[in-house]
Amino acid sequence: MSQPQDQNWLLRVRGLTKIHGDPGHNTIELTGPEHATNICPESGAIVAIANIDFDLYPGEVLGIVGESGSGKSTLVQLLYFDQPATHGRALFREVDEGRSNILTLSNQRKRFIKNHLMGMVYQNPRDGLNFNFTAGGNIAEKLLMAGTFHIGKIRGRANYLLTQTEVPVQRIDETPSSFSGGMQQRVQISKAIANNPPLVFFDEVTSGLDVSVQAKVLDLIRRLQQESGISMIVVSHDLGVIRMLTDRTIVLKHGRIVEHGLTDQILQDPQHAYTQLLVSSLL
Amino acid sequence: MAKILEVANLHKEFTLFILGAKKIRALENISFDMEEGEIVGLTGKSGAGKSTLMKCVYRTYLPTSGSMRMRRADGTFLDLSDAPEHEVLALRRTEMRYCSQFLHAIPRVPAMEVVSEGLLARGIAREEAFRQARDCFERLGLPEELWDAYPSTFSGGEQQRVNISRAILSQPRFLLVDEPTASLDLKTKGAVIDMLLKLKASGTSILLITHDEHTLNRLSDRCLHLENGAVRNAVEV
Repeated sequence: MSQPQDQNWLLRVRGLTKIHGDPGHNTIELTGPEHATNICPESGAIVAIANIDFDLYPGEVLGIVGESGSGKSTLVQLLYFDQPATHGRALFREVDEGRSNILTLSNQRKRFIKNHLMGMVYQNPRDGLNFNFTAGGNIAEKLLMAGTFHIGKIRGRANYLLTQTEVPVQRIDETPSSFSGGMQQRVQISKAIANNPPLVFFDEVTSGLDVSVQAKVLDLIRRLQQESGISMIVVSHDLGVIRMLTDRTIVLKHGRIVEHGLTDQILQDPQHAYTQLLVSSLL
Repeated sequence: MAKILEVANLHKEFTLFILGAKKIRALENISFDMEEGEIVGLTGKSGAGKSTLMKCVYRTYLPTSGSMRMRRADGTFLDLSDAPEHEVLALRRTEMRYCSQFLHAIPRVPAMEVVSEGLLARGIAREEAFRQARDCFERLGLPEELWDAYPSTFSGGEQQRVNISRAILSQPRFLLVDEPTASLDLKTKGAVIDMLLKLKASGTSILLITHDEHTLNRLSDRCLHLENGAVRNAVEV
């Protein structure tokens, strides 16, 4: 017999919380969707997210939806160590067989995880790419960090990744500043998957792109997922993106999970008033 | 014969918060069983709750109360009404398939790939999957020039054939199929019926919605008649 299904997770998150400022004793109780605010009336602390629990399974694509300020980006940034979490645990199967809270590891170990086991694609390519380096240089940076020093290998891998993501290889030695928005996003995706990580985060990667370019980037993400079975967390305010890419969805409002479910259930039979509003707002 | 599905006291109510938490009762106290390898037809007027019931079984709709125990291939039971999301996803990948009235396909994926997706997921080689897809399209008379085109541009009947091909080729243990023969001509209708009967012969259980008498008579072993969200009588065919 295989092990019980609920133990088969790749990433397990429990009680993940991020508070900006000094919280009072009642900060968590006085904020959230039922108070329609994430600012504590007593202490003025801002609760970006609180008490987030979920499991991500191998090969699964999890969607996170919610309006601006609901805490979507904070959630992935905490898991990618861009910001320190206030409380909470994140267990990652690839690290100490899932026994260690990766959020409290040493900076050195966090760097190792970021370079070898995770990738991130940001909304703004300037957050994920160094615009002083060439496209190839950006990919090389990620490979070097993970200990690939052979220049021929790096060049070969960069060529392969750019071909995969349909960035013209002749432009490998140009800086991303001369690229279109869609191409910058594709270089960012190449960089994020350069070391074949088992887990990649996508934070509003198609926002701000025009629809035909958006479609190409989404097709690329879907193809990469199907071919390599990478687990993904896709953050988007766009339910069309969520419908196309994800199996399960979490709905965030004022930093809390108000609903989670199979993506088709969230879209066709939303249970929470806020999710119903979101779905009915779909064009 | 072993049962594949046991539905007991299923209720479904929609609460519409946008309309001041208005409640709409869609299904009331539905109970029925399905045997392994059986085809059960759901009948009733439009709005009687047939598709709602089917979507509850597939868990696109979350039942309000009641249970829906499905017996899986490994002999274990899963209550679809409250099973963990991962278990439902695993079941959909391997055993349970829903073929809706309208084709929902990922945009910009050619018909051939849409249809062979289920085969590839089961580890069947690409060439073999494409061979089976071509064979299926030929039997259903889908014009060859459409095979590598995107189904979103197809006519209703063409989309229907892509949809049904996808469901049949994935060879599920349990198939939920909503109006498989609507908008098809007589000959194609016959081909779809034959393919569904072949699937049944291989052991698949089918829950079927159809308004077409001919399709219903040829396929269903038994009917469940719904009226205003409740079962009125179960009829042997």
